[in-house]
Amino acid sequence: MNARSFLAGVAIIGLAAPAFAHAFLGHAAPAAGETLATAPKQVALTFSEQLEPTFSGVTVADSAGQDVEAGHAIVAGESMSVTLKPLVPGTYRVTWHAVSVDTHRTEGAYSFTVKP
Amino acid sequence: MSIPASHRRAAILVAALLVPAAANAHGVIGARFFPATISSDDPFAADELALPTITIFNHETDTDFDYSKSIFPGFAIDFGMGYVDANPPGGGHASGFSNLDVAPAMELFRSPEHEFIFSAGVDWEIGGSGSRSVADRSSTFTPTIKYGKGFGDLPDEMALLRPLAVTGTVGFAITGAGSNSIAWAGAVEYSLLYLQNNVRDQGFSNFVAHLTPIVEYSFTSPVDAGGGGETTGTFNPGLIWSGQYTQLAIEAIVPANRASGDNVGVIAQLHFYIDDIFPDTLGKPLFGGK
Repeated sequence: MNARSFLAGVAIIGLAAPAFAHAFLGHAAPAAGETLATAPKQVALTFSEQLEPTFSGVTVADSAGQDVEAGHAIVAGESMSVTLKPLVPGTYRVTWHAVSVDTHRTEGAYSFTVKP
Repeated sequence: MSIPASHRRAAILVAALLVPAAANAHGVIGARFFPATISSDDPFAADELALPTITIFNHETDTDFDYSKSIFPGFAIDFGMGYVDANPPGGGHASGFSNLDVAPAMELFRSPEHEFIFSAGVDWEIGGSGSRSVADRSSTFTPTIKYGKGFGDLPDEMALLRPLAVTGTVGFAITGAGSNSIAWAGAVEYSLLYLQNNVRDQGFSNFVAHLTPIVEYSFTSPVDAGGGGETTGTFNPGLIWSGQYTQLAIEAIVPANRASGDNVGVIAQLHFYIDDIFPDTLGKPLFGGK
């Protein structure tokens, strides 16, 4: 196999099909490990792929494990978000799961802190 | 009306094959993404293609390809072959194709909560399938167990160690030539993606966040009575960049002792996640996929 054939093969593999992939977290607000002076009003996550709304979601809990969402998560396109109840100072845990439109599942969790 | 047991079993089998399931694809378990290791096997049964893997070590250049096809979820068969170009210091250049490797593997246990996976397989190097000049005439069977473990379940005080993960394999190589050995290999890796998304946002760029520093190792220990030689192997420190559909990896090859080699080599690989590139055709299991 010469170099040209190899590159052509690579191009075919990489470009020939409409591809979908695992939805990896690309951006989070608040971010993982962030300490905030002001309580956030929502958690917003952006992913690398389009999400399947029925099977994707996010929850936020305080250090006692009590949910602090003010409503259901909104999942649209590559993003999901959830509005929060007024948060008191403390540490909160964000837990998300995402199913991309080709059904590959990913999940993750992180904490952020609201300063007194 | 009662349904015969044989019909019930058939119905259950058909249902199992037809019911859509969330895909368990390459290297993802729980919150952990394991990149495909290049010097040792990883424990996942997935649709993947490594083309090429280029190894320059011990006066030899190998160019290999490896294709793994899932047959049903959690079970895949891996096919590998390569081209060897050997230039030993004393002369006697030799080149040709290596033997074909066929390696079925099955995932036996998954714990997403603990980012743990355990699998088992057999590697069959088919003797005589390669070029006479560089490949063994006799076959080698290597029953192997494999595992992967991420440390995302460590307590908060050890949060910066959560991006760590290990993989490993232990196999018993049975050769037709009669010299059996234990093949043990694995990897220790630190995922910057895990650090960024699950522990502490470091403000990494998208490119940096997808890097995984890694040290792989690969050893062979003879087990035959009568002195079959000493343990040989290498440590391979390197870096893997994992994208959405492909990954690039490069590692140094550092011999562990004098018997393992007399210089530092290099291994590099371009890898394709076929399950992500062709999710509805080539990239799904032949039976029981979504």
